[in-house]
Formats: sequence, C-alpha cells, structure tokens
Amino acid sequence: MPDRNVCIIGGGMSKWGVREASIVDMTQEAAKDCFDDVPALKKEDVDGLLFASSHCGRRSFQVNAAPVMAERIGIKPTSMCTRVDTLCAGGSSGIILATGLIKAGMADIVMIAGGEKLYTPQRWETYYSELASIDHDWDGAQGIGLPPPFFSMTAQEHMKRYGTTKEQLSAVSVKNRRNGATNPKGHFQKAVTMEEVMAARPIAPPLGLFDCTPVTDGCAAVLLTHEDKAKELSDRPLVYIRGTAQATLHSMSMNWPGEHLADWLHLRTAAKRAYERARVGPGDIDVAQTHDCFTISEIIEMEDLGFCKKGEGGHFVESGQSDFGGKVPVNTDGGLLSCGHPFGATGIRQAREMLHQLQGRAIKQVEGAKIGLTHNLSGLNVEHTILIYGREP
Amino acid sequence: MSVLGVPILEGLYPSTMDLYPLEAKEFNRIHQFYENLRQKRFTTTKCKKCGSEPFPPRVVCPKCNSDDLEWVDLPTEGKVLRFTEEVAGVPLGFEAPLIHALVDLGGGRKLISRVVNCKEGQLKEGDTVKLAVFDIPPMIIEKKGVMAEAERVFFAFEPVK
Repeated sequence: MPDRNVCIIGGGMSKWGVREASIVDMTQEAAKDCFDDVPALKKEDVDGLLFASSHCGRRSFQVNAAPVMAERIGIKPTSMCTRVDTLCAGGSSGIILATGLIKAGMADIVMIAGGEKLYTPQRWETYYSELASIDHDWDGAQGIGLPPPFFSMTAQEHMKRYGTTKEQLSAVSVKNRRNGATNPKGHFQKAVTMEEVMAARPIAPPLGLFDCTPVTDGCAAVLLTHEDKAKELSDRPLVYIRGTAQATLHSMSMNWPGEHLADWLHLRTAAKRAYERARVGPGDIDVAQTHDCFTISEIIEMEDLGFCKKGEGGHFVESGQSDFGGKVPVNTDGGLLSCGHPFGATGIRQAREMLHQLQGRAIKQVEGAKIGLTHNLSGLNVEHTILIYGREP
Repeated sequence: MSVLGVPILEGLYPSTMDLYPLEAKEFNRIHQFYENLRQKRFTTTKCKKCGSEPFPPRVVCPKCNSDDLEWVDLPTEGKVLRFTEEVAGVPLGFEAPLIHALVDLGGGRKLISRVVNCKEGQLKEGDTVKLAVFDIPPMIIEKKGVMAEAERVFFAFEPVK
C-alpha cells in the first residue's frame, strides 16, 4: 500500500474584489496563475481536479461545476473530478481530500481550485442568498443568514466574560489591513488606522464596518503531488502537508456545543487532532492563517488554537504577539479582513500564502518559517478545519 | 406578477427563493411541528425508545436510530442571555433593526431567535421573552396542473409586557 508524503507545489489567485467577471472567468485566471507558478508542469499531467464552491449552485446557476471548470481550464482529469462544498472551508476540504487521494496512490497530481461570484446584478440577491448558507429551515428562516448578528453576540460574550475591549477587536483589523496593503491580489490594498476602525459605521454593535470581512468575488488554485514528483517539478524547498482535521459538532444555533458562544469546543477538537497528526504543538507554529471573518473570530482562534490562554486573546493581539516579531504572525497576507472571502477560495488562498511563507518567498516574509497552520471556521460557526504544513514531512 | 429578466417565471412560485421552510405535508415529514405552532405550541420529537428529545424535530432518533417518536412540548418562555440589533446589511424579508437574542429556555436548551414586536433599545439582558407565532406567505403546490395554496405559520420570540 502506498503511503506517500504529499507536497503543495504551486499556487495562484485571480484578482479578488468586486469583479466584472464570472466564476468561470475567475477560475481560469486563478488556474493560469497557478500553472505559471510551476513552469515545469505539463497541463496533461494533472490527473485530478477538486473544485471548491458553495454558491456556484445558487448565484451562478451551475451545479456539477467541476467538469465545466476542468474543460475551461484545459485539463482532462482521470482520477477525480468533483465539486467540494463546505462553504468557508471548501478550499481546505479540497486540499484535505486531495492529500488523502495522493497519499493512498489514487491520484498523482491534483489541482484544487475554487471560489465564488458573490455579487449578483441586483444587490438584494447577494444578501438574500446567504439564507442558504446556514441551516435553512431553522436559522435561515430566523434571518440569521448573514453572520454579523451571531458574531456580535459572540463578541459581547467575550467582552463581558474576559474584559476584551473594542480597541482589542480593532487591533485585529489594523494588523490585517496593514498586512494586506502590499498584497496585490486581495480585495483591499489600504491600511486603516485604529481611529478609523473605532469610528466606523456600526453593522451589528460592537462590530463595525472594519470588524467584518467584505463580500468579495474571487478564485484561487493550488497544485498538490507526491514527494518524488514534487522534487522532479521544482527546485524550490518542499512544503509538506503534515496533519489535518475537520470537526463538526452541530448544525444550528440551538445545539451550540460550547459552554457559551465564545467557547469554541469544535475548534479545540479539530486543533487537538491536527496537532497530533502533524506531531507538533501550538508552540511549534511559526506562522498561521486563521479565519478572521470577524475581528472577534481571530481573538478566539488565538485561544482555542492554543497560542495563548483562554480569555487572553484580546491582549495577545493588542500586544503584537500575532504580528511580525511576535510569538506567531497571523494572517500575513491580510487574511479575510483585507483579502475578502469568496468562500470556496479562502482555504486555497491560505494554502498559497503558506507555500510562499515556507519557501521564503512571501510578500511579507516571516523569517525562517518552517511550520505553518491554516484554519477555517465555516457556516454559522458549525465546523472548524485545520491544516498544518511543514518543511519536513 | 412578472419576474424582471425572466418573463417565463410570470405567475410561478420559485420555491428555491423561499426563505421559509416548505412546511406542507407533501414536502415535509415534520409538518406536525408547524401544525403545533399554529396552536401556539413549541414542540419537538421525543424518542419513545431511548427518551432523547433533540431539537429540531427528527424522523429518526439521532441517538438510537429508532423511528418510534412522539411529539412533546418545549417551554414557550425563556430568558434573554445576549441580544444583538443589526442595523445594516439586513436581508430582504426582514427590516432593520433586525433583533436576535440568545434565549435560555431552561433545561440546557438555548436557541438564537428573532425577537419581534420589539423596538430598538427596548430589550435588556435578563428579560423574559415568549413564543410569537405569525402567518407567513403560503407556499404553492401544483396538483394535476392546479396551483393550490398551503397556509403557513412561523415563529419568533417577543418581549413579555
């Protein structure tokens, strides 16, 4: 039985933002950027495609999108060609699945592409469609489809229980928008000041405009293969997928698994498994891309990923521990707050940034980074997905 | 009633755009939940074999796989633990401020519900809220070429005056 080490060898992105383009257009842009990253690879050698998108079925009226994308990209998969949908974690799900296929010898070179065209010609449909993103009959019908109300209550819980301040929430936004200011592919290339974030118009208090990821169109793509093929195709340092986990403990708000809304048991469950599989601990992580859909999310993630103690996430961010020069730089390419969040593409964007970090070619480089972690929360905080990458298998 | 850009949909019911559940018995094996709601009862299914009472209601017990279930009542009053007033980006079908509360129904049951009949700034943590049942637009079911309307209700919570 093969048990092959799996490497990520290339990554690409379309431009992200409010795009005058279809999902089919943006997938081609992302795949081109990815193929350009691995010049030695011939397209005909790609034998698998996993296409991560949730809202292609709704907003682009295209289910079974994988064969459409394979044809437009110009590849002819023979091992696997399928769509993956776990909303915000779709890209990471695709990478996990591809890792398993390659590890088991069922596929050799797999492209994981994905993304969303979220802006519809009339803006009402952009927001209305979000009622499909969660448990439709129960939470959707309560109008909880767009997540700010849920994360507003989460933020209030954290503030009341642990003394977290609005300044600490804002510090996440300031850091990530600063990191993203030099990322040409992201939605925004503009840093924001603490004053701007604090004074921004309210969305669902205490969350204001800059506490929330924007609605963004975009696609991304990465290539995975086994260690021997990776050595053949590139002279760059190898980047291995060391450990993964995806934990779901509930689907709707009534069945929240934690003690309270700021207690993310499903994240700790996923983290424990991912660290075990990767044979590392939180102290070994040199760089992380975590799911900053809201500023409060990144604060709780610092805690439940084990980077700091429970309740100290606000201080951790405010004191620069998640910035360059701190304990673990987080969201080095700008994260969701600066790049935006075309659901299925986000995990792929994180993987691409991690590839760049561990190969020493990131735009904002963490010097000497050898082990990195990516994380997604998805849906109405119903699932947590983690991948750990390393320079050693 | 015409649909802009898609004239072929004139007079038709696009159920995939319906924000509410397809509650009618022709489409939903837990339609009794909505029948009970109509009687101002907030209910779920209890497993006769193992006693588990999950919410939302099921057709098979998620604990023991039995399909021998019965309807039981849940509390219709609860206490507001946290709440939020969304002022921007409210989806079509709802109005700003869109108020939601994390409601403690007791017995370890907490749910996030919309709070209706409540003004911005009125709600406080610790307030008691009660079940509110209201009519929503009927869904349309085609039977042998004839369009029939199936009445529907849905629920939220509201402040106890």
